[in-house]
Order: sequence, then C-alpha cells, then structure tokens
Amino acid sequence: MAIETSNECMSAEAARAILDNGLNCRVNCDIPPQFQVGELVRAKVTHPKTYTRLPRYVRGKVGNIMKDYGVYVFPDTVGQRLSTKPQHVYSVRFAAQEVWGKEASANDALYVDLFDDHLEKV
Amino acid sequence: MNGPHDLGGMQSMGAIPIEENEPIFHSEWEAKVFAMSFATFGNFFTVDETRHASERMPPGKYLSSSYYERWLFALELLLTEHSLVSSAEIEEKIAELSQSNELS
Amino acid sequence: MTAYHHHAGSDPKSSSDSNIASDIALRVKAIEALLIEKGIVDPAALDTIIETYETKVGPHIGARIVAKAWVDSEFKQRLLADGTSAIAELGLTGFSSEHMIVVENTSEIHNLIVCTLCSCYPWAILGLPPTWYKSFAYRSRAVIEPRVVLKEFGLEIPENVEVRVWDSTSDLRYLVLPERPEGTEGLSEEELAKLVTRNAMIGAAKVDLTTVPSEVSQ
Repeated sequence: MAIETSNECMSAEAARAILDNGLNCRVNCDIPPQFQVGELVRAKVTHPKTYTRLPRYVRGKVGNIMKDYGVYVFPDTVGQRLSTKPQHVYSVRFAAQEVWGKEASANDALYVDLFDDHLEKV
Repeated sequence: MNGPHDLGGMQSMGAIPIEENEPIFHSEWEAKVFAMSFATFGNFFTVDETRHASERMPPGKYLSSSYYERWLFALELLLTEHSLVSSAEIEEKIAELSQSNELS
Repeated sequence: MTAYHHHAGSDPKSSSDSNIASDIALRVKAIEALLIEKGIVDPAALDTIIETYETKVGPHIGARIVAKAWVDSEFKQRLLADGTSAIAELGLTGFSSEHMIVVENTSEIHNLIVCTLCSCYPWAILGLPPTWYKSFAYRSRAVIEPRVVLKEFGLEIPENVEVRVWDSTSDLRYLVLPERPEGTEGLSEEELAKLVTRNAMIGAAKVDLTTVPSEVSQ
C-alpha cells in the first residue's frame, strides 16, 4: 500500500502549524516488541540498495538494548513510499571496541536508534 | 543504500570546520532552498524521501557539494521525478531570468 | 547578501566561486518562480519558514530547558525520563523536535550528539544546526574518534570518563543536559539560561563561567 501525499500547497498558516507542532512519527498501537531491554542483539548484515537508517558501521555488531522507545513509522519503507510499517525503536548500545576494535577507548560507547527490522537475536 | 551519505567512521575528512558567529543561512538562495523543501515536506514528499533523494546524489558530487547544494539536488530530483516541474521548464526559466537580468 | 565564508577543513563550502554561486542563485530563483506559478509553494509560507528559523527558534530555547532543569529537580527528573512530555510542559515543541531524548552529562559520563547519515538535529529546540555539525568531518569522525573531535573543541575528556556518542538515526532528537558549573548557586533561572551555549547542548562544550556574558558575571 503506497503512501499518498496531499499534494496541496502549504499555506503560511499550515507552515506555522507544522513549525509549532511538527509531524508526528509515533504510532499508537499495540505492536509487540521483538526485543526486550537488556537483551543482546546483532545489527543485521544487509546491504539494501534502497533507503535505510541502519548505518554500515554497526552492521554485524552486537549491542545491548538499553531502552524501548515505543512504536514509530519505519523510515526505510516510508522513504520509498511503500508503507509506514510501524515497529519498535530501541536505543542500542554498542561498545566502542565492538565497533572499532582495541584502538578505541575501553570506556566509550555508541548509542544508535534501531528498529525491529534492523536487528536479529544473537 | 551504501551511498556517500553513510559517513560514520570514514577517515581523512580533516579538521572540524568551526565557524564563529555563523549566520543561519550564508546566502539568500540557501534560505530559499530550505524553505521550498520545508514547504513540500509531508505535502508532496515524505521527509525520508527527501533524505533519500540527497543520498542518491553521485558519490563524487555528494562529497564535493555543500549542505544546501545537496538539498537543492534532492528538491530538484523529487520535483522532476514526481512530474511537478520538468528539467526543460527549469532551464527555460533560467534562460528567461538571465535575459531579463541582462536587460535590467 | 552575506559573503561566502571560507574555513579550514576539507568540507566543501557554500560555493566559493562567485560564478558558480550566482549560477546556483539563479537556478534557485527559477525553481522558486516555477513553484509559485504552478501553485506548489506559497511565497507567504516561504517567508514564515525563513523568518521562524532566522528570528524565532534557536539555542535560547534549549537554554531555557537546561536552566529550568538546573533549578527544578523534579522537572529535571521528568525531562530525563520523558523529554518529549517535559519539554511539552513548557510549550516548546515543534518541527524536528517532536520526539525528544535528553541525556545528562555528569562527572562520569560525557554525551555527544551526531547524525552520521544526514544532519538530524532538534530544530525547534536549538534552531538549525551549525556548519560544523553538518560537516563531513564531524559526521564521519564523531563516532570513531570522539575524544579527538572533542579536543578540537577544546574539551579534554579524562580517560576514566565514559564518552557516549548518540547517532540520530531515527525520528528521535537528542539534547544534552550539561553539568551546572560550580559557583552559580546565586544565579536565577534566567541568568543561568544565559550561560548555556548551543555547543554545550550538543556535547561539544561544557558550560563554563569564564565565558559568562559580562552582565551575568557581576
């Protein structure tokens, strides 16, 4: 189901409303999370030729789910106008050394927002 | 897409260009590109579609363009792909404006 | 019109060649004229959008949030637990700040915000991002060598302090709650807000009393 846009000219009043209120990307629905806080996950090794918000530097790396931010529309499919495909977004913590090796500081970490479809169980 | 935008971890990009007392826009055209993009966000294109459009810029061009040059590329790409404006119309309008500039 | 700026680093500038710059300016004028003729954009909307980012939103908004968190510990707890609702209490939400996460810098943790894939940034809270935040140098290096990047901003983070780099890959936007500097106990919320810089709310600076505007330092 393709995403349709209104194709209406944005008036100054409409611009004001969007500036003040923004565009909501959160979806209020009970889609169960695929992962739990505290769980170890792996960012998928995948190289889609289309739009994705899964950066290359974490693909194949193992991280820890720190927080479940709730259900949001999925940019990877929204960017192609395919569907909103709502799913959970998590804050995933990757140790700097997991991503960059021993040259990175042992104390440091990367926190990346990833969606259910970006992750797999370890 | 493994495009030029996926920059995390790339090296040899030089020092961070820290600019003191930076204006919001560095020229009027930057402000206009920003505003035209904003005015089409949601109404004509999804915001992610506009992000992806700039990622589709050829890598050599992406890495040698400024931020708002990439926005301009994305705006033009989406306007033409969705048949809202044609490339020929843009070129004609440029010719028309540059002629009236010369006359004035 | 503002002159084009040159600065260090390998990032491309707003076109420095004046011929190229005038070509782009003409191209943008042409597209604008066409979009208006075709009823795709309304010039009044363009003015509203530009005016908002040039004169209304900016780091002063984020500074109000930080200052309130410094003086009101209950607000601070709500802000860290649910940034979106706590910021909405102050009526300060807006485009590209719809879903906010606030992370706190402490003596043990230093947070730094980046968007490696584009330049996502909390526009309604901090205004449009500075050139450095949008630069290829920052987007590429912040995740792999954050401590070296922070040194370029004059911040030396001790090895025992954990550096957390937050990559804004989703529709959530991040704000750093900087540490309140010592010696500010007597200052009001309004005076505190004046100390808070944009870079401190991205994690690229600390709030420092030595940079206090003169009217506050007295």
